[in-house]
Amino acid sequence: MINAAHTRYYSVLALIVLATIVTPFFAASFGAANIMLSDVLGVMTSLLSGNNDASQSASLSQRIILELRLPRILLAFVAGAGLSLAGSVLQTVTRNPLADPYLFGISSGASFGAVVVISLFSQTGIFAQLFDGALVVSSLGHQPWWSWSMLSLPVGAFIGASLSVMFVVALSGIGRTSQVERMLLSGVATSFLFGALTSLLLYFSSPQATASVLFWSLGSFAKASWSQLWLPTVTVSMSLLIMLAFKRQIMALQAGDESAHTLGVNVAKLRLSMLLLCSLITAMLVASCGGIGFVGLMIPHTVRLLFSGRQPMILTAVLGGLFMVWIDVIARCLLGNQELPVGIITAALGSVFFLFILRHRR
Amino acid sequence: MSESVLDVEHLFWQVDGKTILADIHFSLPKGQMLGLIGPNGAGKSSLLRCLYRYIEPSSGKITLFSKHISNYSAKALARTVAVVQQDTPHYFDLTTEQLVTMGLTPHKGIFDATTQHDRELVDSALTKVGLTQHAQQPYEHLSGGEKQRALIARAIVQQPQILILDEPTNHLDIRYQIQILELVASLGISVIASIHDLNLASAMCDKLLLLDQGKLIAKGNPTAVLTERQISDVFGVCCEVNQHPQHAKPLISYFYGYQTNNRVSQHND
Repeated sequence: MINAAHTRYYSVLALIVLATIVTPFFAASFGAANIMLSDVLGVMTSLLSGNNDASQSASLSQRIILELRLPRILLAFVAGAGLSLAGSVLQTVTRNPLADPYLFGISSGASFGAVVVISLFSQTGIFAQLFDGALVVSSLGHQPWWSWSMLSLPVGAFIGASLSVMFVVALSGIGRTSQVERMLLSGVATSFLFGALTSLLLYFSSPQATASVLFWSLGSFAKASWSQLWLPTVTVSMSLLIMLAFKRQIMALQAGDESAHTLGVNVAKLRLSMLLLCSLITAMLVASCGGIGFVGLMIPHTVRLLFSGRQPMILTAVLGGLFMVWIDVIARCLLGNQELPVGIITAALGSVFFLFILRHRR
Repeated sequence: MSESVLDVEHLFWQVDGKTILADIHFSLPKGQMLGLIGPNGAGKSSLLRCLYRYIEPSSGKITLFSKHISNYSAKALARTVAVVQQDTPHYFDLTTEQLVTMGLTPHKGIFDATTQHDRELVDSALTKVGLTQHAQQPYEHLSGGEKQRALIARAIVQQPQILILDEPTNHLDIRYQIQILELVASLGISVIASIHDLNLASAMCDKLLLLDQGKLIAKGNPTAVLTERQISDVFGVCCEVNQHPQHAKPLISYFYGYQTNNRVSQHND
């Protein structure tokens, strides 16, 4: 029995490793422009072999692959990995199998923070209109690796996300017995509250700001670029490291607060810092690719089904990343000549998944 | 007199003006098994929670190995005191082995991996409680007695000097009640356990503490504590105390028929 389980574990593991290796190549060959897998292979090999003389004769497909598709694939991977990690850790530290950054209201808090930044401080925003463009914000056309506007969005999102976490924690009261239901309901309430505030802001914003916020809030990787990839990547990888460092403590929380305490875990501190870490991840991802829901719910549950009795954090992250890359491929290809926001696809899949979990929980 | 590992002096705990624990004092000699007895609501669990610092007493002093309990870090405390709780919460998705491995938590720093030695420790703990066969099974699928034994295995892996058990024999059939307490006694570490069954407490414990309404009524060896008078005062039942044929400690036979004179009702909470 043990051997069979091990064989299954390693075969699924091998499959995932294989998928991780081939995914960038295949994913880069899908999209509006017709690019063959062989083109991708050619570009990649020339890139990896350091053959950089291609810059003069950079073909269109090569530029599309290097400047549009690769950063996009990476961003999708980072986003999927981060959201799955956040979901998995949230589910463990709150002992709530239905926890997810989206359901928990963290995403809507982050969205609200980001919308405040966009609608109040961008060039089409309320302040800019009041002061007639006195606030100079870098244009979208060329993006430097660093600018105030680039950081103000994540900071706004993080403040909003932390606010919503505090809200949920305060409303549900940590350590109660009926925590599962209370937290979920508090999350829903918080989500509505920040959703309403966001709508209020949008109502007073200019139509351009409203349109851009709407498209962005549905979630999309279309704006991915090398220059803006580092922030979410660094955030997610640092968070993964921290979570791995405290893996034993996080696991111990599963046994209940009092048990975790007797195992030498500082329960209140650990839970609060993990909640904040999850809101940091969510905020960075919301700031760079909008609201993408349910990934944090679907992936950890799938991992639990595949690898019952193990808590593989790295695998959760990798699987989440792969899932997101392919959802993004679907988003690019489903409609012939335009892109579908990924948030719509994950929400559609996720709500079905949510019902599935609810059914199987009793 | 052997050295004591735990000393409690003048311990009080009040919540909202209500006194839950009043002036508790006792000490636990090394390697002994101390039984905590008393009716429901006597404050047994609260006292134990003070000892593993889950609640902070209003006043009083708890000393572990002649060091004040608040001077221990969370980890150091968990390396000294292991706890087996009364109600095991719902663990989702853990195998028995993983649950037992949790006992390593206070011994591990950041990024420390589980070593071969740790695995041997977990294996030997599982063997000691007789759960080797169930190591890979989900903890949730174990029976009540097996769950309790798994939690004891976790405590063994924690390598504590003191083991605290909060009603370890609850909901278990008599075979497991005896088995679990004998298992704990065989570990050779100092133990404090709250026990409902007075005969079991009498048979298994070196010393007993009798609590009632937060106050310490009696302490000492079973013969001194389990007298007909004290049992009738605290528990409100009449009994006869004899010598047990095997271990010569008190054996209590209860008398029945309280419904007519209604004496039992005041102790039903």
